[in-house]
Amino acid sequence: MESRPAQPYWNPYLSGIGLGLVLLAAFVVMGRGLGASGAVASTITAGLNTVAPGHVAGNPAYAEYLKDGTSPLKDWLVFEVLGVFVGGYLSGMLAHRVTRTIEKGPNITNKRRLVYAFIGGVLMGVGAKFGRGCTSGQALSGGALLNAGSWAFMLMVFAGAYAFAYFMRRQWQ
Amino acid sequence: MTAPFFKYGFFGEDISLVVAFAIGIGFGFFLERAGFNSAKKLAAQFYFKDLTVFKVMFTAIVTAMLGVYYLSVFGVMDLGLVYLTPTFLLPEIIGGFILGIGFVVGGYCPGTACVGAATGRIDALVLFVGIFAGVFGFNEFYPLLKGLYLATPMGQLTLPQVTGLPYGFIVFAVVLMALGGFWGAEWVEKKMAARKVEASS
Amino acid sequence: MTDMIRSLTLNARLALTAFVLGFVALFAGNPYKGAAATLNTKELAITMATNADQISVTTVADWIIQGRSDFRVVDLRPAAAFAEYHIPPAENIPVTELGGSNLGRNEKIILYSESGARDAQAWMLLRAKGYRGAYVLHGGLEAWKDSILFPRVPANATPAQLVDFARIKDVSKYFGGSPQAGAGDSTTTAVVMPKLAMPTPSATPAAGAPKKKKKEGC
Repeated sequence: MESRPAQPYWNPYLSGIGLGLVLLAAFVVMGRGLGASGAVASTITAGLNTVAPGHVAGNPAYAEYLKDGTSPLKDWLVFEVLGVFVGGYLSGMLAHRVTRTIEKGPNITNKRRLVYAFIGGVLMGVGAKFGRGCTSGQALSGGALLNAGSWAFMLMVFAGAYAFAYFMRRQWQ
Repeated sequence: MTAPFFKYGFFGEDISLVVAFAIGIGFGFFLERAGFNSAKKLAAQFYFKDLTVFKVMFTAIVTAMLGVYYLSVFGVMDLGLVYLTPTFLLPEIIGGFILGIGFVVGGYCPGTACVGAATGRIDALVLFVGIFAGVFGFNEFYPLLKGLYLATPMGQLTLPQVTGLPYGFIVFAVVLMALGGFWGAEWVEKKMAARKVEASS
Repeated sequence: MTDMIRSLTLNARLALTAFVLGFVALFAGNPYKGAAATLNTKELAITMATNADQISVTTVADWIIQGRSDFRVVDLRPAAAFAEYHIPPAENIPVTELGGSNLGRNEKIILYSESGARDAQAWMLLRAKGYRGAYVLHGGLEAWKDSILFPRVPANATPAQLVDFARIKDVSKYFGGSPQAGAGDSTTTAVVMPKLAMPTPSATPAAGAPKKKKKEGC
């Protein structure tokens, strides 16, 4: 089974319609959009709250995630992101695309690629906090609701990525 | 008018978590189907080689936008009850730019990193750990960043409100923009592929 | 016509569908308007009968202390009374301006006035306009004074009541109140309304910039 070749990806427009319908389902059933980065903040708050509860209570950036005394992990986005992992794995498994690998261009070492991935993650964490969401929560969900801030955010994501693409070309090409 | 179901109290907090898990599965499934588990494919967007990111994202936005619009117009859904993230223009512009840089440096965005990690991409897993570090750092320095974070609050604001144009007009404009973009994307991809063949021959 | 559509590729057919739906949207009207003014009297009656429209002062006090920002408190009293004292995160919105205010129909709104007559009317008004998250502070500002600012313990209090009182004492001090020793006690401390410059929780919204629940986002 593992030796079977990976299937090609779907037509992007069909995958897009699939994503759009999932997003629409979230609006219709829950009255809210999708997200990803918010779950990270909840998880961090939950982790810190068990290690250093005093520290968490003193910082308004965390207090918001404590809500009404229930665990911050009992959160909509946390469960949604768990689902994303499961859904991604299911789809990848069905198409024989689950392989342990590091994605990179031919001109960069594995170690360097992982360092870049980490730096990219840090930037993304900070950016998602300032932007009140990431590509899922702001660009996608807010974009579909014609949220003004979300569209500004989305344009800036593309602007930032294209602006720095030149400096990163050795990593990918 | 009965949607959004949760806001009308059809089910409680606990069931909503089950719904979250199910919706997450759908989200992850289609992200992987589109090829968003591969950083190479995602990053190719920014070198005009493979514009899948743009195509998938805007198809999804157009699909959901039209769905929300027509369900609301037909009175099935109360759009006023759907959560709109309040706009804080300046921090959102800065945050978007930083996230964009992170996208091309790291190769994934937060959602796609989950899918990448789930399908065995080690770089995606490392990036996900990086997000934790970034959010943690932000929270620790929150007292310093608070001023910028809360700058230019504009409340819940939609494009029709900003432009003063009817909602339906903006919907049509977004559809036109997306279709034009798709047409352009197909053209660019063909051009780039032709150039590659030329270069290798 | 059908032959022509059949001859198109899948992508072209999808594009055509999107174009048609987008074009029709030009004439289909405002999606927000369709939602206004649908009053389900039965649902309202059930909400009232089960007290689901009410929220207790202790609950609200706890929320404020926890720094929650997913709700808005609206003071319906005249501006002069509001200036004299109001519950810390409250905004002053007269009943006449409720409809045109910046309150969102997807927000949790807690209404209060002096004792709870005016706010019930305002609640009805908001509900009729489709504000599903509107609640009335049970007992109004009177209850806030009695239970939060100047709580009393009954003369013949049961142990359970005493435990309760010990807890509420801290809450009261947080809001700058003064807990009263006992109903039969002659040495009751003076009932002085706390000044507005009292220890407000750190998470109260900045003036003019209502902080909304961010958690629901991404």
